[in-house]
Amino acid sequence: MFQHTALRYTALILLAAGAFAQAVTAGYFGLEVLTEILLLAMLVLALDMVAGFGGMVSLCHGALMGLGAYAYAILTTKAGIAPPVAMAGAIAITGVAAWVIGAIGARSHGIYFIMATLAFGQMAYSYVFEAPLFGGDDGMGGIPRLDLTLIGLDLNDSRSFALFCLLLLAASYGAAVLILRSGLGRSLIGVMHNEQRMRALGLTVWRIKADVFGLSGMIAGLAGALAAQHVMYISPGPLAWTVSGEALVVVILGGLGTLVGPMIGAAAFVVLKHEVSNVTSYWHLVVGVLLIAVVMSRANGLFGWIEARWGARLERRLSDLTRKSDAEEVPTDA
Amino acid sequence: MSLDPGFWALQTLNALQLSMLLFLLSIGLTVIFGLMHFVNLAHGSLYALGAYVAAAAATVGGYWTGFFLAPVAVAGLGILLYSGLIRRMRKSGPMAQVLVTFGLIFALLDLTRIVWGDIALAIELPALLDGRVSVFGIGYPVYRLFIIALGLAIFTALAMVLKRTQIGAMIRAGVDNDAMAACLGINVERLFFIVFCVGCALAGLAGAVAAPLLSVTPDMGLQILIPTLIVIVIGGLGSLQGAIAGSLIFGFVQTFGAVLAPQLASVLIYALLAAVLVIRPMGLFPAKG
Repeated sequence: MFQHTALRYTALILLAAGAFAQAVTAGYFGLEVLTEILLLAMLVLALDMVAGFGGMVSLCHGALMGLGAYAYAILTTKAGIAPPVAMAGAIAITGVAAWVIGAIGARSHGIYFIMATLAFGQMAYSYVFEAPLFGGDDGMGGIPRLDLTLIGLDLNDSRSFALFCLLLLAASYGAAVLILRSGLGRSLIGVMHNEQRMRALGLTVWRIKADVFGLSGMIAGLAGALAAQHVMYISPGPLAWTVSGEALVVVILGGLGTLVGPMIGAAAFVVLKHEVSNVTSYWHLVVGVLLIAVVMSRANGLFGWIEARWGARLERRLSDLTRKSDAEEVPTDA
Repeated sequence: MSLDPGFWALQTLNALQLSMLLFLLSIGLTVIFGLMHFVNLAHGSLYALGAYVAAAAATVGGYWTGFFLAPVAVAGLGILLYSGLIRRMRKSGPMAQVLVTFGLIFALLDLTRIVWGDIALAIELPALLDGRVSVFGIGYPVYRLFIIALGLAIFTALAMVLKRTQIGAMIRAGVDNDAMAACLGINVERLFFIVFCVGCALAGLAGAVAAPLLSVTPDMGLQILIPTLIVIVIGGLGSLQGAIAGSLIFGFVQTFGAVLAPQLASVLIYALLAAVLVIRPMGLFPAKG
């Protein structure tokens, strides 16, 4: 089951504080970078849910996010639906699509599952690329942002928009933790460890996989609807499989199956990308070598490495402290 | 829509030519997977590298220098990759392998950009393969016919080697059950190494062959990767028949799809892949029954 260790709480608090401080103090460019990080964090959170806790390595999460963005864009600009309803609609549509993909892919494992998700993602990409309804490879512009003037927030201001994204990221994180702690999430982890055993226990394995994949798709859809509002324009580019691949890279560099790690990874990835791009145009070489090094080192990403190195020590010290003040023991299994 | 037989003959040849190019790539990838259970996403990058080596060698020594040098150079890189990375990743799960080779794609992409720049390169064809011949009353480029012939020749050669020679029998045994093959005294590791090098050489050859047809750009490896993966998954991982069947299906669906239903052409092949994965999750001709 997904547990919050002291280290994870510390990292979460630091992340939230850092993002909040950045949102309050940064200038225009800093806010744009922050929003980019928050949206990527939301996507990798969704991906970590299925890849880290269900063993479902998906190469279509970029496409799911794109689907959410397109659904929001079509619903607001073509169908004339109010932004809040359109956002809910986009999340629902992406969730259903992800549920179907998860249900179809549930039978396959390992590389076949990766290929199946790749196929569905690319199908969406090439369809959107060609279809005139979606503006083809020209994309679509004029996407409105949510109107929150009722509660005194003007989302057309990039500071408010960044804060709004931060709030929704926190909500998504909470939802992901709740899902993973629910019976559904526990069953999913069981399926990842031993599918036959879970089947023997009477669980409908494909339903569990499809349900979590659908929920993860809803988070990806939310990220997409926000991304469409962020740049107010969409093109088929973000649906391509390389975007999903990059999201997977962020999850791995951050730490698979830790939820907190991928979000740290997202922050590190975006900041590194901007910094390296300032120095050289060969950003992909840096990422490629970094990725190979991390995977070869067998550490579970940046956060996994920190957890393995300092997590236990921190936990012991904390439990010593609490034992002195309080006889109760803190659960320590991570 | 034309009912002219020449038109259909032309499209059939186009489909065959695309199929053969994909076959050269997918056969290496599929046997590497079948034998080693190793997912090499960087196979497309090796193909791009082959195209670059061919283009560079062609400017110095003409087309044929590039044609013969590219497979050798790419196989050389394959040896380096095998001893440096792949051998260590043999025992890890598919996810780690996908990621390491994904990292390799990124690294090789930028390395080709550093060495050869961002500008597309082109290769001059030799006089022998330049020009057109008349097929069913329609002029068809000789070079495309050459690709079809080369693909068929390599398919025949590989089929003969796999079926009739001792090393072919050893490879088939290794794909079927590598632990048992090792118990019977076959040096499976050495077999892996040979197959990996041949697969890399074929990828380099495919690059050299494709270079005059398409422009040589850094991202050509990424563009060919997805069709190649589709081919091997439709065909079934690890088998020669699967690779040729998958290549033909892809080539014909793509070419005739573009002619008959241009709106759906690009989606069609992915829909087919999804259908195959649902109905026969192991592909049409899996190596293991």
